[in-house]
Amino acid sequence: MEILRVENLNFSYPLREEQALTDISFNVKEGEFIVVCGESGCGKTTLLKLIKRELAPCGEKSGTIYYKGIRQEDLDDRTSACKIGFVMQNPENQIVTEKVWHELAFGLENMGLQTETIRRRVGEMASFFGIQNWFRNKTDELSGGQKQILNLASVMVMQPEILILDEPTSQLDPIAASDFINTLYKLNQDMGLTILMTEHRLEEVFPIADRVLVLNKSKVLLFDEPRMVGEKLKNVENNGVSRGLPSAIRIYQGLQNNSACPLTVKEGRECLAKNYTNKIRTLKREKRCLPAAEPAIELKNVWFRYLRESPDIIEDLNLTVKKGEIVCLLGGNGSGKTTLLGVIAGSNRPYRGRVKIFGKNIRKFKGRELYVNGLTLLPQNPQTVFIKETVLDDYRELCKVLDCDQKAIDHRIERIAERLSIGDFLNIHPYDLSGGEQQKAAIGKILLLEPRIILLDEPTKGIDAGYKDQMCTLLKELKDDGITIVIVSHDVEFCAHIADRCGMFFDRTIISFGEPEEFFCNNNFYTTVANRISRTMFDNAITTEDVIELCRMNERDE
Amino acid sequence: MSRFESFHPLVIFLYYVIVLFVTMFTNHPIVLLCALTGGIAFSGTLSTGRQLLSDIGFYLLLFILLSLANPLFTHNGETVLFFMNDNPVTKEAFVYGEFIAIMIIAVIFWSKCLNQVMTTDKVLFLFGRVVPKLSLILAMALRFIPLFKRQAIIINNSQKTMGLYAADNIPDKVKGTVRVFDSLIGWSIENSLETADSMKARGYGLPERSAFSIFSMHRSDLMMFGLMAFFLLLFFTGKHAGLLIFQYYPTLGQINCSGRSVVLYALIALFMFFPSIIEIMEKIKWKYLESKI
Repeated sequence: MEILRVENLNFSYPLREEQALTDISFNVKEGEFIVVCGESGCGKTTLLKLIKRELAPCGEKSGTIYYKGIRQEDLDDRTSACKIGFVMQNPENQIVTEKVWHELAFGLENMGLQTETIRRRVGEMASFFGIQNWFRNKTDELSGGQKQILNLASVMVMQPEILILDEPTSQLDPIAASDFINTLYKLNQDMGLTILMTEHRLEEVFPIADRVLVLNKSKVLLFDEPRMVGEKLKNVENNGVSRGLPSAIRIYQGLQNNSACPLTVKEGRECLAKNYTNKIRTLKREKRCLPAAEPAIELKNVWFRYLRESPDIIEDLNLTVKKGEIVCLLGGNGSGKTTLLGVIAGSNRPYRGRVKIFGKNIRKFKGRELYVNGLTLLPQNPQTVFIKETVLDDYRELCKVLDCDQKAIDHRIERIAERLSIGDFLNIHPYDLSGGEQQKAAIGKILLLEPRIILLDEPTKGIDAGYKDQMCTLLKELKDDGITIVIVSHDVEFCAHIADRCGMFFDRTIISFGEPEEFFCNNNFYTTVANRISRTMFDNAITTEDVIELCRMNERDE
Repeated sequence: MSRFESFHPLVIFLYYVIVLFVTMFTNHPIVLLCALTGGIAFSGTLSTGRQLLSDIGFYLLLFILLSLANPLFTHNGETVLFFMNDNPVTKEAFVYGEFIAIMIIAVIFWSKCLNQVMTTDKVLFLFGRVVPKLSLILAMALRFIPLFKRQAIIINNSQKTMGLYAADNIPDKVKGTVRVFDSLIGWSIENSLETADSMKARGYGLPERSAFSIFSMHRSDLMMFGLMAFFLLLFFTGKHAGLLIFQYYPTLGQINCSGRSVVLYALIALFMFFPSIIEIMEKIKWKYLESKI
């Protein structure tokens, strides 16, 4: 049975010329798992919000949305609030109350249910989601993954028939994200819940989706089964989605063969084995010519803990980063990666060991000496970088640090804006920018300081594939300018693309360190999907491009 | 969790109200001593011994200060000990000051315990019944405070690592703090929009909102109500009969030692030590249960 039907939906925001949604029509059957994808700004979020009446943005709208055959406008308030559940992107901001149990009960309280009913429903949900162990905790003591599960559970207590999720895992680390998506799959399979979600981590949701809705420039481009979408997208130029597709599909799209489109690692392997030989197993790479071995950052036997009584976060860590290289540090959540960046940046002071920046002990830098034309840190949340009303004002604030006048700084701003192509949003409030734009603007601010070392904390968090590519290019350019870059990230694919050397942070220290080929090919789990697909066939392919190239070489060889 | 904490919030609240009422509206030395020792004993069961010792040390100092303050400013009383600046310092004023100090410190100790036992969700539960809107606002505010604090630290750090407001002079630092605070306000407004969306999405604003809580009444809670009512009855009867009157001025009176009043003292002591007694009983019970396993 049909649960949701959208007919000729058009929408435009006030004061904007272009339409946010043009002529969108589709329907969703009961129990379907639908993934909506498309590049940033294609109207995904707008579409989802329009389907949930309470969140519909202001603007000019035409067309109709039917829920179970009833026009959205005619739905009763309670049905609309209960039966259509909505989970948003940011786990933190959705939580309303102080205690976990209160948060779970919040929606039911709004419905005016009796204590006994609420108790039963909350208890049921808490046990389904495994919340019972932290049921009485405070909400701010939870991890990001737990918060998002709580948000999901507090929507599920209202017993929705359709669940809408807007990039629910973008702020989570890969393991928590996996857990979350598995929970959704379980809800879909065990409860027959209809799910409509947008997601940029397509690697995991593509194989479990029933159908995929691809939006491009405010229009529906495709609405089909994932496999078919993979095949059809091959022939659509500039669709803005391909970059974010699962590696198996990307490899498939880069090659010419007539088999069905693979979705998972397993299928990808089969597809490669069936269609290609592996006479040539290794890709010859030019040896990365590392610049003169002068160190930019040196950590020697560093120990760190936050309080005297608390356990060590960093234990006897040694790290040398040479001038002009990009070093990526990977590692699980809470392993201490961010703390390590703090140690390098001088905001965390180790209680044993030595940190040297450009050969000079970090404690010998006075005041802002270290940060001007020296070292900068871009924190995880780019919002924390901005404290003024517009990006431009914020940039100008830096002339205080640089000891130069307005003119000189404006000149610099102009140069940077051109380089990053951010001229358009200099006069916009930083919070009004999208995640990717904020990240770019934040990098712009850092570049004004003309740093020689840049430290980045999870630069790809909450950013879609298109922006990730832009960031890759930018960081490589910066490297060519001789800037040393240290990145701390969960994002294995991103690190594989960009790193000169990679390290893995585990149990308070760096346990393996080396060039990406060697690093990823030696890892079995902590490696890129492309490497997992190709590891039985080829020796040193780590990106999808590597796999495609090797396949082509073998093809030619035949 | 201590046994007393697991009572229903209403029981805990009423118990405290009675304790504070009895302590603050009687000036009988025995009652005040009971209140003080009871408060210290309860505080001892809630915290570690070391913490308690350091607390007692601090309050001993406060006690000396407070009890010296009264005779310096009050000169009532007949037994003059000595003259200071031509003003008499009397024994009665001394004793009165001591007992006022005991009362204040007893109230402080009980409030410390109250703070620990009456967690915010209990307070919300109690007053949420009266003003449902207010309790939601409080719950949201309580959720918000730690968020705000954390964000302030993060913003401050990220500004510092860009060299802003990192200079070693004070005006720069003050300016920096103001800026950070300013941007925090913007940040919180921005984020609260999303919270508002999340509330709307879950049907906030529909009529007939109910209030849910995870606290339930047990048999022991009902018994506590009975006991407290019984105690209040006896206390007021005793007070009415003049058993709890003690004279400080102009000369110190005698402590009433009649049978009836001794019974009343014992009762008050029992009441004041009640949380510590059940705590100890509970511990003995567990020791016994564990030894059986």
